[in-house]
Amino acid sequence: MGSITASFTSENSLHPRAQEIFLDAIGRGWADPAKIHHASRELTRLLGESREIFANRLKIASTSIYFLGEPNLGFLLGIEGVRAYQSAASTHFPATARQEVMAIVAGREGAKKLNVNLNGGWAVPIGSISDLLIHPTVNLETGATAPSAEEFIGRIFVDATADPLVGLPSNWSTALWDAKSWAGPLGLAVFAIKDASEWLNPLPHLDHRKVPGSYNPALVIAAAVALEATTADRNNSETQISLLNALIRRYIIDEIGDVDIASCNDAVHHLLSFSFLYLDAEQLVDQMERRGFSLDSGSACISADLEPSHVLAAMGRLTHGNVRLHLSPDLTEVTVVEMLTQLKAVVEELRAQ
Amino acid sequence: MRNIDCRGMRCPLPIIMIAERIKNEEPGSRVILLSDDPATWPDLQAWGRMQSHFVNQIDEITFEVTA
Repeated sequence: MGSITASFTSENSLHPRAQEIFLDAIGRGWADPAKIHHASRELTRLLGESREIFANRLKIASTSIYFLGEPNLGFLLGIEGVRAYQSAASTHFPATARQEVMAIVAGREGAKKLNVNLNGGWAVPIGSISDLLIHPTVNLETGATAPSAEEFIGRIFVDATADPLVGLPSNWSTALWDAKSWAGPLGLAVFAIKDASEWLNPLPHLDHRKVPGSYNPALVIAAAVALEATTADRNNSETQISLLNALIRRYIIDEIGDVDIASCNDAVHHLLSFSFLYLDAEQLVDQMERRGFSLDSGSACISADLEPSHVLAAMGRLTHGNVRLHLSPDLTEVTVVEMLTQLKAVVEELRAQ
Repeated sequence: MRNIDCRGMRCPLPIIMIAERIKNEEPGSRVILLSDDPATWPDLQAWGRMQSHFVNQIDEITFEVTA
């Protein structure tokens, strides 16, 4: 297999600016911030600065921020912590008032209203929960941004793990970000609780701490540096990436054809998903890699369970022959044109077989 | 009405086979596709939309396509 000319996959390596300070952060991050030694005080200062960067960029109060060493734990804390409070609070309400509520559930293609029977309790799948809205700001597959949740009367858990720069609805309750989404280190999440008096710790706990606290401080410092750098990159490259996105859309329709574009026009510009008719995505991804371009796919033949992407299927989009592109801020038109030329050749070759 | 049996085949083969078959059919005639691949129904609907063919699901593994 030849060398890779360009990667269009979603795996960002650690941002170069974060790589520069990473070893130094590891060197400082061993101290215990709870102690009063010089190294501890120094680490506390660095963590405080990082916290301010997160507060500023993610537009939340610094006092609402908690760090998690296991990003997926944030889903449990964000959802169950609100549910635990709701269960405790609901005992004070007359049961009849809570029999049935109208909930707006934000889906991939728009908000829909559901009548939800609360007597059904908690046994409903995530995504259609009665009076708690699970609000993913951006769909990781298609880049589609969620419809506004400002009108929702209830509590909102915001899943911001796909993109840090799409804002929160003003009525959010809990929110979760993953540092890897902004080219930060793996293994660090930023979790936020807007009003701690309306949240109960759903985990077994002995003290007043809201999260386990088992995170690596060096990752916090590196994640803050990466967030600053990625925000600047994204701001500087926004016009260029939007032009490249439009160029790719035009080319695959006009020059390749029989293609179904899953990303709507108002999706974030750095994510683009489309599917070619009559193609096996595994062969397509493999052939493109041989020609120096790494791509992602949501097709069944690529997935571990051989099931088609539920996102594409739910949207009524073609699930086979799918390609997902992640357009990084340093991408050039020359690279994109080169990739598209190879893509056209591979699609034609595979369709001819 | 003719049948195409794609049971045991994975995507995108059932869609490729129905597309090949439908090319030779008179407009308005119907073909039955048998397929047990979970991607067939979503893909058949998307293909029908893109290629202007009416598609219908009869049961879990039986689909009707109008040329």
